[in-house]
Parts: sequence; structure tokens; C-alpha cells
Amino acid sequence: MGRARAFLVVAIAFAITGATSLYGAENVWSGLVIAENVAKPQPIPPELTRIERSLKKFFGYNQFQVIGQSQKALKTGQEDWLATSKFFGLHVDAQGETEAGYVLNLKLYKEKELLLETDAKLSKRSPLVIKGPQVGGGQLLLVLVVQ
Amino acid sequence: MKTFEEKWTAWVDGQLSGRELAEFEASLPDKAAAEAERASAQKLGTLLKRELGARTLTNEEFFSHQLRERIAQEGGEISRAPDGRRIERSTWWTIPRLLWTSTVSLAVFLACTVLVMREKNPTEESQYLTQILNARVDPVVSPNATVSIFEVKQDRVTVLWTEGLQSLPPDYAAK
Repeated sequence: MGRARAFLVVAIAFAITGATSLYGAENVWSGLVIAENVAKPQPIPPELTRIERSLKKFFGYNQFQVIGQSQKALKTGQEDWLATSKFFGLHVDAQGETEAGYVLNLKLYKEKELLLETDAKLSKRSPLVIKGPQVGGGQLLLVLVVQ
Repeated sequence: MKTFEEKWTAWVDGQLSGRELAEFEASLPDKAAAEAERASAQKLGTLLKRELGARTLTNEEFFSHQLRERIAQEGGEISRAPDGRRIERSTWWTIPRLLWTSTVSLAVFLACTVLVMREKNPTEESQYLTQILNARVDPVVSPNATVSIFEVKQDRVTVLWTEGLQSLPPDYAAK
């Protein structure tokens, strides 16, 4: 009897903890990625594993290397952050959270020059890939993933 | 051969007749006292019959009694022992039963939630794909640039595809 009651209390506690963690802070990974075709491609970075197939199919490259990245835990959905490489900077400004994801304003800079600006509703289940400028024989890609 | 007591009882009840009656009355030592005693016994018998006899229930009382018995049976709260004593039984909502009921209810609720979520997801899939609201390129830096949007529903990836951006030398790939 006492054991059954304890079991019930523990089950409810687990359920509440699980539900809370589901709706808690989430991490957004933003990366500047150089896609290239090389003879001996390096393994894909772990952040890109889940979209590897789409990247290869869409862009036709066999190697993807992260040249700059940032990981931000979103609590209010109003944060902003910067992912930078030596020459590029991606500024992300979160402008609110909806049931489906976050509203973001993205600006890609080459040094101090604004190359591209976009507003997107980033879904918690759906990564965003932006094709940037051609860099040498490869391509700059911007990737945002809610982890 | 009847004993005196048997004959006395039969005489009091008026069941002796003929020769047997005459012989018995002749054997009585004091017939007047016996007559008085018989009259008294008959009077008592009449009184007992009237007072202790089973009372006939009226229709209303009978119906009410039946109803009470039925409720007691269905409720299971009270039953009768073979000797007619009432036995109190426990009510249905005991703590173990409440626990079981709540656990089962929770399981049913979870099952329903999972079913509803499964039915809901396909229709709302597009809502969970990232959406590009707008995109701009600097017309001075890249005057011929264009943008288009692709959604890979299979992998749930949204792609903003730009064409005509200024090409850069390989040095820009530095970390």
C-alpha cells in the first residue's frame, strides 16, 4: 500500500520534470560552414549529421567544415548573438518565441559589409540552411539548428 | 392408550366426543373447576392468536420493503448472514481501488493524448517547417543577386538559396 503510493508520487514527479524540461530553455546552434569538393573529405561535424543528406543533395559538395559557430541557450526568445569566422560574421537577433519556434532576424556580414539579411521563423524541428557567397572553389553556408 | 394429560388437552380443545368424552368427564374429580379452567385456557388462546398472529402488510409497505431489499443487494453494502444477522461490507472507494482507478485513468489519458497527437501531426507538419519571412541582399554590393526558398519536407530542412552574390577568394574560408 505504502509502496504503491510512493510509486505513484515518483511517477507524477517524473512526469512533471519531463514536461518542464520539454518546455525549458533550448539551444540554437548557428554555424558558418564552408562546403567544398575534395579528394579526401573530412567527416561531417556532428552538428550537421542530421542534415548531411540534404546538404550533399542540395549543394553537391562532399566536405563541410565549420569555420565559425555559436551556441546560444534561448530562455526568453529575445536574445541576440554572433557567430564569426576570420572574415564573416552572422548576427542573429531573436525577436520572440511561438509554439512552433523562434522568429529570428539574420544578418550576414563580410567584415563590416552587410551581404544578406533575412527574417525567418526557425522551427524547433526544422533546420535552416542559407547559401552564401562563393568562396574560392567552395561555398559559404549558414546553418541554424534548434538542438 | 392416551395419558390423562393428552385427554385433558384434547378436552380443553374440544376434540373429545361420544363415549370418550363421557368417560373423561366422569373421571374428573371437580368438573366445575375443570370447566372454569377450560374456559380460561380458551380465552387465553383467543387472545394470543389475536395479538401474536402475523400482521398482513399493506401493498405500500410491501413495495417499500421489496425496494429496500433490492437496494441493499445492489449496493452490496449490507448482506445477511445465514442466521439473518446483518453484515456490513466495505464500500467500493477504498484507497487501493482509488489508486488503481487513478492509474488506469492516467494510462487511458496518455493513450488518448498519444493518439490525438499522432492524428494532429501530419496536418500541422507545414507549421513545423522553418519559414523564411523575407530576404534582402545589398543591391550595391551584389546588384544581380536573387533569392529563392526551398523546403525539403522529407528531411524538414528549409533552404534559402541565393544566386549572384559577389564571389570571394579562398582566403575568406579561414577560420
